[in-house]
Amino acid sequence: MSESNRPKRTILVCCGTGCLANHSLKIYHKLKELITKAGVDVAVETYIKTTGCNGLCEKGPIVKITPDDIAYFKVKESDVEEIFEKTILQGEVINRLLYLDSVTGKRFKSHKENDFYKRQMKIALRNIGEIDPADIFDYIERGGYESLKKALFTMTPESIIEEVVKSGLRGRGGAGFPTGRKWKQCAGYNNYPKYVLCNGDEGDPGAFMDRSIMEGDPHSIIEGMAICAYALGSNTGFAYIRDEYALAVKNMSNAINKAKEAKFLGENILGSGFNFDIQIVRGGGAFVCGESTALMSSIEGKVGEPRAKYIRSVEKGLWGQPTVLNNVETWANIPVIIEKGGEWYSGIGAPKSTGTKVFSLVGKIRNTGLVEVPMGIALRELIFDIGGGITAGRKFKAVQTGGPSGGCIPESLLDLNVDFDSLTKAGSMMGSGGMIVMDERTCMVDVARYYLNFLAEESCGKCLPCREGIKRMLEILNSICAGKGLAGDIELLQEICATVSEASLCALGKSAPNPVVTTIHYFEDEYLAHIRDKRCPAGVCKELTTYYIDPENCKGCGLCLKNCPAGAVSGQPKSWHSIDQKLCIKCGNCIDNCKFHAVKIR
Amino acid sequence: MTVEKNSQRILSYTRDVMAGYPREQRFTLAMLQDIQKKYKYIPRESLEQLSDHLGVPLSKLYSIATFYKALSLQPKGDHVIRVCDGTACHIRSSMVIVDELAKILMIKPGETTSDGKFSLETVNCLGSCAMAPAMVIDETYYGKVTPSRTREILNEYGGVDCE
Amino acid sequence: MIITINGRQCEAEHGEFILDVALRNGIQIPTLCHSEALPGLASCRLCIVEVIENNWSKVVASCVYPITSEIEVVTHSEKIKRMRKTLLKLLGARAPQNAYVRKLLAEHEVTPAARFQGDPDENCIMCGLCVSACDKIGAGAISTVYRGIAKKVSTPYDEPSKTCIGCSACAGVCPTGAIKVQESHGKRIIWKKEFELLSCAVCGKPFITPEQIAYLKAKLNQEIDEILCETCKRKAAGERFAQTCADLTASKGLLR
Ligand SMILES: Cc1cc2nc3c(=O)[nH]c(=O)nc-3n(C[C@H](O)[C@H](O)[C@H](O)COP(=O)(O)O)c2cc1C
Ligand code: SF4
Ligand code: SF4
Ligand code: SF4
Ligand code: FES
Ligand code: FES
Repeated sequence: MSESNRPKRTILVCCGTGCLANHSLKIYHKLKELITKAGVDVAVETYIKTTGCNGLCEKGPIVKITPDDIAYFKVKESDVEEIFEKTILQGEVINRLLYLDSVTGKRFKSHKENDFYKRQMKIALRNIGEIDPADIFDYIERGGYESLKKALFTMTPESIIEEVVKSGLRGRGGAGFPTGRKWKQCAGYNNYPKYVLCNGDEGDPGAFMDRSIMEGDPHSIIEGMAICAYALGSNTGFAYIRDEYALAVKNMSNAINKAKEAKFLGENILGSGFNFDIQIVRGGGAFVCGESTALMSSIEGKVGEPRAKYIRSVEKGLWGQPTVLNNVETWANIPVIIEKGGEWYSGIGAPKSTGTKVFSLVGKIRNTGLVEVPMGIALRELIFDIGGGITAGRKFKAVQTGGPSGGCIPESLLDLNVDFDSLTKAGSMMGSGGMIVMDERTCMVDVARYYLNFLAEESCGKCLPCREGIKRMLEILNSICAGKGLAGDIELLQEICATVSEASLCALGKSAPNPVVTTIHYFEDEYLAHIRDKRCPAGVCKELTTYYIDPENCKGCGLCLKNCPAGAVSGQPKSWHSIDQKLCIKCGNCIDNCKFHAVKIR
Repeated sequence: MTVEKNSQRILSYTRDVMAGYPREQRFTLAMLQDIQKKYKYIPRESLEQLSDHLGVPLSKLYSIATFYKALSLQPKGDHVIRVCDGTACHIRSSMVIVDELAKILMIKPGETTSDGKFSLETVNCLGSCAMAPAMVIDETYYGKVTPSRTREILNEYGGVDCE
Repeated sequence: MIITINGRQCEAEHGEFILDVALRNGIQIPTLCHSEALPGLASCRLCIVEVIENNWSKVVASCVYPITSEIEVVTHSEKIKRMRKTLLKLLGARAPQNAYVRKLLAEHEVTPAARFQGDPDENCIMCGLCVSACDKIGAGAISTVYRGIAKKVSTPYDEPSKTCIGCSACAGVCPTGAIKVQESHGKRIIWKKEFELLSCAVCGKPFITPEQIAYLKAKLNQEIDEILCETCKRKAAGERFAQTCADLTASKGLLR
């Protein structure tokens, strides 16, 4: 580093997946080139870094400048020179690039002031967007590996576990099992070797928090695992990472190597005499491999089929040895709990769901992205205040939580507090924290069918209820969506659900009926409209949908015509447009693009 | 290149992959992934060779190769188009994109065009839900894809000849 | 320890499976994928029972549920009966024309659901016994292929397997007779592979494949000098025994 006394300034360019797809890397390189070229001529010593995902992917690419606390959104390559000239060289703020509140029209200099970030509380995501994940010193500078030191040199294994028990932390990967209790059970078996595993399979479609942590702050996971390993007397860890997540695999591998060089991993960690190493296993692309026993089979080099869990993994897990498996986000919480204490952590969130949780807000919501909020937050606040409400001025219909194992929660429950138990009571579950927001253009029967279709492919296919039950439910739902539903279908679906949910071998099968059960429970009308009236109220099921343009509302703007890929719309500018039903492919582009609600569904 | 030579090459590459890992069953998936990465599928020669090397019956490796979605036994086209049909993309009409691509390419998801140029696949979540509907061609991500943009995007890859 | 099954007290060892204890006590639980020689598949779920512990009831597969405390088990509660019927209905939808499946349905008074389009040619119910049998022999010729609703049992690439020895153990354990074994003119065809059949040295019946002989030789580590079919082997053993007895009596007579 340079010895100069110039003040320092750091530019953080978000290189999370969302921003990368919007060419943030080009922005980074261009900025870097300009800074290097200018060299020492700049009055302020400037560093530039790439970071993990800032969460608000919707408004990316995001460029932040510290210590000035400026955040630019939707930055384009063509903005780079101006940023350099004005902000870097002259410390000027470019108003146009600041966050714009679409309701009030206000702009915010610091990203911390806008509604999206203001209501968040970051524990698991504490470093993401602030550090370069490839640089271990960035992590250390923000207090990284201090908790490992604290654990190794000032705490006993028992007191570490006690602290985690006290925190009330429950697993973030799905079922919400108390993490401390899991560790304690495993510590109780005097059978070595023991294994510590990280579940980074993240198969839940619509959720990407684990990806974000693995890409943006890998050391927090490593530190959490090392602390647990010390408490259990384990020397070997595995991180099972989804193969599609190339960047996560890269950043985790790199971080493991750096941690080894710095003696935070490997033999005789920090001179304590304790050894622990982590190996990476790339997943094979199977949702069921997120299930604990299937994941272990997969690590063992076998087909990822679950086994009966009547003997728990803490006793007989990987290769039949005592094993602790936790989710990525669970691990990322551990260093903070050790640093600040279990009691501090248990004071955050709801009584039986302590701490914070990361949610991915996606679907028909304005601010899509990742947010971390205290548990117990009202759904309404999450979706409307932080998420900015529904896109295109449409009406909220439901939010799906918990992925394929979860359920749909209707508008009437918007005041529900988001915690493990309330979600379960509503028929859904926390799952990994995916929140898929649906509006009036989402067909709930199609949603149920969608999940069954997913599970039909992703079930391991070993046991009869799950394999055959899903197949038959899907058969029924396909026929309902095609307008061939019969009276009695709903009851038959319910009968199959009741059996599959209890007789299946693993939790995939046991939770597979949830999307069907909740959509029937909260949206039976929509099922009946399909079955009885042969109508899809949302205009999604093609066989049951006819689009037409209402002359009353049509302004003749031609947007529908322009966006119709089938050439089915005709009409002169400023006069009524109409749809040729023979050509219409029912893609819904017209209805989605019409600003005057003139396209209607019959 | 003759078939024989190609086969030789595959065998020698497989040998290299095997040499990179200890001879243990737990590295089966990793080895298969390396081979998949190189050839975009698992050639039969490789699977047989691996079976001999690890002393694991061919049927077990075949079972693994057909179980995991990251592995394929069929060769893929030059460009692999993966359209996300994860939930976030699905409710933002990803199937319309799939249908449109299928129409242009005249293949169904899971198939490869007869000229071997494109393979079309659907995947469950690319982790880019904020840009739904999303798709990725080879390694390049495309967000907020619309049916009308698909042809344009295909043109970046030389477009479609067979029309 | 003592557990209760359907109100009856039964002696059980720690770790023993519920099914085994029930059977020992003459309590019948329907099973499909369970075989004493090939345990642990737990795929058919017909053997589900209710386990009540600390006032908490759960449904478990009795063939793999180990007893670790003094639980109460109910094998035929209304709930279990209802679920079993649904399972059978699903089974009937999978293999609608299979004789064994139809018999099972009839036994449990389940009428096949007309709503489903079953495949009339499907006989396999994916219990997995055949794969286990073949693995146990050590041939490893077949395995499950694909996953989810497309899962099936097959040889690699659906072609005759190099390691199949034509023993037909897989067909022997299959509860539904789904694996076809064709035998004629001294040949056996199984899993698309054709085997020559060697004949019994005594009765001349073709019954065993050379691959099986080779397998037995390797396994027993000894030469097999005479190929005898099961019937003749039993007969020969019987004759040998009779001869020995006769010899013994004779020698005793001599002694006397
Ligand atoms: C079908 C299925 C898929 C799962 N997928 C994941 C996953 O992708 N990531 C994850 O962390 N947990 C997943 N889980 C939950 C894990 O089985 C396990 O409970 C969790 O990893 C334990 O860690 P935790 O206590 O920290 O949550 C899945 C469970 C099931 C049944
Ligand atoms: S419930 Fe489904 S995923 Fe689980 S073991 Fe059975 S078939 Fe496999
Ligand atoms: S006949 Fe072939 S497939 Fe069947 S058990 Fe014997 S070796 Fe295995
Ligand atoms: S072939 Fe027979 S033994 Fe094999 S899985 Fe099918 S039903 Fe079971
Ligand atoms: S659902 Fe399509 S990227 Fe996540
Ligand atoms: S006999 Fe127990 S699951 Fe089949």
